[in-house]
Amino acid sequence: MTVMTSPVAQIAIRKRFPQFTLDCDVTFEAGATSVFGPSGSGKTTLLNCIAGLTRPDSGRIIVMGTTLFSASGRKVVPPEKRRFGYVFQSSALFPNMNVRKNILYGYHLTPEGQRTTDPDQLFDLFDLTRMLDRSVDTLSGGERQRVALARALATSPRLLLLDEPLASLDVSFKGAIIRYLKRVRQELETPMIYVSHSVSEVVALAEEMLVLSEGRPVAQGPPSEVLVRPDVGTMADYGALENLLDATVVERRSEQGLSVIDVGGVELAAPEIDAGPGDLLTVSVRAGDIILTLDVPTRISAQNILPGRIAVIHAQGPRVIAHVDVGVVLVVELTPRAVSDLALREGTQVYLIVKSNSVLALDALDGGSGNR
Amino acid sequence: MLSWSLLELTFRVAVVATVVNIPLALAVSWLLVKTRAPGRLIVDVLVSLPLAVPPIAIGFFLLLLLGREGPIGGLTHALLGADIVFTWYAAVAASAVVSFPLMARATMVAMAGVDERLEMSARSLGAGPWRVFFTITVPLASKGILAGVLLGFVRAISEFGATITVAGNIAGKTQTLPLALYSAVILRDDSTALLLTAIAIAIAVATLVVHNWLLAKTPRVEAA
Repeated sequence: MTVMTSPVAQIAIRKRFPQFTLDCDVTFEAGATSVFGPSGSGKTTLLNCIAGLTRPDSGRIIVMGTTLFSASGRKVVPPEKRRFGYVFQSSALFPNMNVRKNILYGYHLTPEGQRTTDPDQLFDLFDLTRMLDRSVDTLSGGERQRVALARALATSPRLLLLDEPLASLDVSFKGAIIRYLKRVRQELETPMIYVSHSVSEVVALAEEMLVLSEGRPVAQGPPSEVLVRPDVGTMADYGALENLLDATVVERRSEQGLSVIDVGGVELAAPEIDAGPGDLLTVSVRAGDIILTLDVPTRISAQNILPGRIAVIHAQGPRVIAHVDVGVVLVVELTPRAVSDLALREGTQVYLIVKSNSVLALDALDGGSGNR
Repeated sequence: MLSWSLLELTFRVAVVATVVNIPLALAVSWLLVKTRAPGRLIVDVLVSLPLAVPPIAIGFFLLLLLGREGPIGGLTHALLGADIVFTWYAAVAASAVVSFPLMARATMVAMAGVDERLEMSARSLGAGPWRVFFTITVPLASKGILAGVLLGFVRAISEFGATITVAGNIAGKTQTLPLALYSAVILRDDSTALLLTAIAIAIAVATLVVHNWLLAKTPRVEAA
């Protein structure tokens, strides 16, 4: 990673609407920031202002050292000159163009010297090759969102603005797209600002999160710190809290019906995955499927026993969420009773038990590897 | 009284008036529907005004404008030595002004039906306002725009009051179908009047059928 000489974005704006006012003074330092908040809190308005689609009443917007908007300096860079990839919640595909033309629309408008993505690679990656000549009216919600992502990435954006991009995706594509977004961020060093309600997505993708409420920022910081706050927790969707993890296949043991994968230095046994050593994939482990114990379990059927330490523990409505560092951080869902019986608190040394069957490979993409 | 030249003149006047109006209707619709330009209310009223005033008043206004004493007529007379009033150009001007509101109103409705998010999306993908207008807005509104063009055309082809005021009723020169019909009625030439009425109805029915078919095929364009 290179050292950023200036923050990703410095935003101090006011935008008044009849019903509500966005009044936001924030700095985004991280490469991937998630914007969180209830509907109507101003998340989309904030993205629109950064994209240049909504003009603030006052203030300034500086992205990566470039002033895009300054009310006092009377400067407004039009959206087409900003080169930000914006993926709308509604995907906003052009109905008068087929899939290919949608994706190439912005690609052709990107100056040749600034193109860093190859459309054919994007077609492949999002598994769109078969549907390039189809009308976008015939696509499912998930297919549309994949086209919208590919279309935004085809412009080689300097910054990605994503408004709930995974909301309508089939679960099998989430893993690959999350991993692709991470790769865009790491390899191309494209920063992203990401609106989401899903705690799982935020934990998987964001280094930093900003919480908006009624048009004002109410919290900002690493997700593990911000999500702990009770006022933030009530806004979050803990529905199916899961750990979305990057994994590398270590070996495949067909005779045992399992594959061994490496997750950030921790080896996990998973149901057999149709992939060879070195292949990359994303796995999901549901927070409620992980058992936490204080002693080394012996004579137990589960394959994965991981020693670790509780980094963060907080109540979330009727349940308790613990972030346990086992080399990677896993989110574990507990009952309040378990917490008091075991006297769990931050710093407690614990063991996590993960049945191999609870480790689900999410990928249906990337060269056909992964189980479906 | 019926001749091919009558029909040719009628169509020529209506077609030219319609074609002249198209870019103007697109520009005015864009201004009123897709921008927040100041003075939109005044433009909006001006667009509809020809619908609301008597066509003869329009003709009289055009007479003042295009006549030799008027600003435009004076200019063409001085520069080209040519007059506009009582020529087919005057008939075109009359038809264009009277039919403009119908075309512009339909174009505005069609453009308002194009989801703003699609245009914003195109902007964020690197397209400037002109490119967005011609690659997104106009193609997505095209059926509604075409319906408006046809509506303007039938109105132009039926134009009478303003035309007779500013272009007169000169057979073979400015006499379009409605004016010929008027002459036939005045002269009690019922068979010619009936024939011309039948032709007018046939043109109107054919155009309106296509117009309605186009509108039926135009769903509101939402962001897909």
